[in-house]
Amino acid sequence: MNTSHGWVATRALASRFAPAIAFPALAALALAGCTSNATDGSAKIAVTITDDACTLSATDAPAGDAVFTVTNSGSKVAEFYVYGADGTTIVAEVENVGPGLSRDLVVTLDAGAYVTSCDPGMDGDDIRDGFTATGDGQAAASTGE
Amino acid sequence: MLANYLIGLREGLEASLVIGILIAYIVRTGRRDLLGAVWTGVVIATAVSLAVGAALTLGPRGLSFTAQETIGGVLSLVAVGLITWMIFWMGKTARFLKRHLEDGLEKAIALGKGAIIAMALIAVGREGLETALFLWAGIQASGSTTAPLTGAVLGLATAVALGYLIYRGAVRINLRVFFQWTGLFLIVVAAGVLAYGVHDLQEAGVLPGLNTLAFDVTATIPPGSIAGTLLKGIFNFSPASTILEVIAWVLYLVPTVWLFSRMAFARTPRPAAPVEHATTVAA
Repeated sequence: MNTSHGWVATRALASRFAPAIAFPALAALALAGCTSNATDGSAKIAVTITDDACTLSATDAPAGDAVFTVTNSGSKVAEFYVYGADGTTIVAEVENVGPGLSRDLVVTLDAGAYVTSCDPGMDGDDIRDGFTATGDGQAAASTGE
Repeated sequence: MLANYLIGLREGLEASLVIGILIAYIVRTGRRDLLGAVWTGVVIATAVSLAVGAALTLGPRGLSFTAQETIGGVLSLVAVGLITWMIFWMGKTARFLKRHLEDGLEKAIALGKGAIIAMALIAVGREGLETALFLWAGIQASGSTTAPLTGAVLGLATAVALGYLIYRGAVRINLRVFFQWTGLFLIVVAAGVLAYGVHDLQEAGVLPGLNTLAFDVTATIPPGSIAGTLLKGIFNFSPASTILEVIAWVLYLVPTVWLFSRMAFARTPRPAAPVEHATTVAA
């Protein structure tokens, strides 16, 4: 019985220090994870999702930072994914694109092949398309181009 | 508007319920002096989320997917730790109540102010950034249509209202029953948060098995439906769960329920008469 008492006390002590440890770590991580918001020539791709269609303004972009501006013109909540060439590895994703909303997905793309996916209704019944990042990025060897 | 309303409801529900239970706990143990700590945590988490969301939406820099996913995954794991600690804190109180009168509670439970702030901070902050990004998207769209923002805000308001209702319910029921059942409820919530964190790490490629599903009931419970929203919002239930998510959920839930039940539901040779009395006082 005393063991569990001591355990609870230890947990209480640990959690008292948790915010002090967690927040600087997260702040550092947020800074390290920042990417440019497309003011400096990174590629901009407009993605328009309706309940049964998905339109991309371009299916290729130079390797580097790309900004997908995902606009939902349909009536269902949509998600947008960028997969690797295998179509299963997630490179980036933006969720909660409600009807009438527009959200940016910022992603750094190595040169190579990708698969984009729009999922209106979030039910896995998605609309896919090929996407290519061109140029001399480090992953060039993995593309069939 | 309904679709955006349901997103707001889903994103706000878990935080709202955890805060409602936390406040009920503080009020029922006679530590109203700690309410300020709860609101401090809530306000800081909300303000930081909105500010970071604004900076990322309107400022010159965005947040990479990997960073957002890692922040989400780490906060989920921290949240599981904190909720688990809260659960055993409740179990300990319930066990204490078997033998002592309610007014002895204050001495029995050492509540740290910092711990309360951390609890509130993480409960709100875990989904805070994603919710803030969603809200800022609604604000940006409001130039052409205000329906998405209205829906989102109403959804969040409904979540807060449900948190208030659970608080109202929790301050009325028998004190020992309160600790026992809110404890069990929080175990299921924490197990869901853990499974969600595992899924985040699978999406980020840190853990394998993203496409190895244990079950897929998306057709029965679509994520966009009201049932799907409530199950996701409260228990983080995913209609298409991976095997690893299910394993993590079970491995957390079973031993925690067992340990908690031993603590909070243990039979005692003495009748719990004073506790029964407390019911009539509270009601």
